Amino acid sequence: MPMQEKVEAQSILSMNSVEVLYDNVMLAIKGVSVQVPKGKMIALLGSNGAGKSTTLKAISGLLKAERGRISRGEIKFNGTDITEVLAQKRVGMGICHVVEGRHVFEHLTPDENLTAAAPLGMSRSVLNVEKEKIYNYFPRLAERRNSQSGYLSGGEQQMLAIGRALVTQPSLLMLDEPSLGLAPFLVSEIFDILQKINQEEGVSVLLVEQNALAALEIVSEGYLIENGRVVMHGTAEELKSNSDIQEFYLGGGEGTDFHNVKHYSRRKRWLS
Amino acid sequence: MDWIFLTELAINGALTGLLYSLVAIGLVLIYKASSVPNLAQGGLTMLGAYVVLALSRDAGMPLWLAIPLAAVIMFGMGFGIERVALRRLAGRPVVMILMMTLGIDIFLIGTTLAIWGGTSSSMNLGISYEPLLMGDIFISRIHLVGAGVALSLFAAFMLFFRTRTGIKLRAIADDYMASWSVGISVERGVGLSWALASLVAVGAGVIWGEIQGVDQSLSILLLKGLTVAVLGGLDSILGAVIAGVIIGIIENVGAEFLDQFVGGGSRELIVAAVLILTVMIRPHGLFGRHDIERV
Repeated sequence: MPMQEKVEAQSILSMNSVEVLYDNVMLAIKGVSVQVPKGKMIALLGSNGAGKSTTLKAISGLLKAERGRISRGEIKFNGTDITEVLAQKRVGMGICHVVEGRHVFEHLTPDENLTAAAPLGMSRSVLNVEKEKIYNYFPRLAERRNSQSGYLSGGEQQMLAIGRALVTQPSLLMLDEPSLGLAPFLVSEIFDILQKINQEEGVSVLLVEQNALAALEIVSEGYLIENGRVVMHGTAEELKSNSDIQEFYLGGGEGTDFHNVKHYSRRKRWLS
Repeated sequence: MDWIFLTELAINGALTGLLYSLVAIGLVLIYKASSVPNLAQGGLTMLGAYVVLALSRDAGMPLWLAIPLAAVIMFGMGFGIERVALRRLAGRPVVMILMMTLGIDIFLIGTTLAIWGGTSSSMNLGISYEPLLMGDIFISRIHLVGAGVALSLFAAFMLFFRTRTGIKLRAIADDYMASWSVGISVERGVGLSWALASLVAVGAGVIWGEIQGVDQSLSILLLKGLTVAVLGGLDSILGAVIAGVIIGIIENVGAEFLDQFVGGGSRELIVAAVLILTVMIRPHGLFGRHDIERV
């Protein structure tokens, strides 16, 4: 079996040279290919506006809500081409996207948030089991299950958004910047829980993060996206030890000093 | 002015107010799902009355059959309106959807004019016009029936919004993007809200058609319904009911006092004043949700 096909067979998600157009003019990603192996956690890293969120929206089908569309390439989920499938159908197939910015249903209670995400065919008893499982992962939510979600703290809202996604019983969970605006101890709490969900439920995870340091601690592989293209792909260890990644995304590296700024921009050679 | 007369004015005002609530509940249902005040709710009410009339008078059905059948037809019509007119506007600015609802209202008025003409017809519900005498107070029977319909619908919707489908509708009202992301069909939800509002319009149309006759002027009920909905808070069914009672009482009692000075027409003035003051002083109404800001 050729290499490419072999990778695809082991992947729950296989995205091949996908281009996305917004409003039929703006090219947001320019041929992105990403593989998510079954049961693994993968990170998409990169700076603001690099095309990470667009990549997730192409996979979940939420592009449509922002007048975007896939103009080239294909997305396969468990071997099935889903490029043309409606967003709500993709949720039924097992893809759930936790969008950026903690979109909880503010005027509903956390408990109702979970109910709202339940598929129409899910029986009440199954839903209750799912809810208890989620409250076990996120004990903070259990305490506040009947208060109004809009008044939860940022961390609690993020937990609720993840919990709500779990109600749809996904086999691929995608998260867009779950660490955004959260205190470091909350980030590590949420990332620990994500790792636990990944191991216990066997859910594959595709994580978009600007916080590369935290992300590379829990994922097995990462892709670096810049200007709508994948510029680097490797295991978490490879990426962590790469000097460019260290300088630009991990804030480390040698000589992070103002005089070297020019030097950096020259070395960020995979840009543009 | 003695207190018996005042009580009579207040009670009949409250009953009339609940009839405004019938229109307002339809507005609230659609506002809850799409955050747009449906300017076609008056037109829908009028259409509901005409459909009942067409089935009972023109097709000769008994009312007990014509009204439920009209409800089914209008329920389907609500889904149809969403599918044909509103789906392509999803995600567009709210003002465009608002204009579309206005367009639908005008379209419905024109259509009923073309089909049934502009002469007023009677609904003939067979409810006696003899007022009901309670102690010394006269109460209109049809208003009492209408108030009963309004309260039953209120109770039914309070229960509905606790069911799973109802919760999904409220979720849609909160956040389209999040709804799509967990597989809720926003389009179907908005369609359902139009279907339910059209269903309510049959109730409102039958009662109001009986009171003032079935013609295009029924669509003007939008103004009263809108005022009630705004005072109640646009997205609160409970608000629509309570605001209806409040406006009905203020209007009936207030007009009795003011009409001696201005020589009639003060009803409309009072309703207008309520609408303007609500928007100025309490834009989210009595029970409307605030946009949550965490401190």
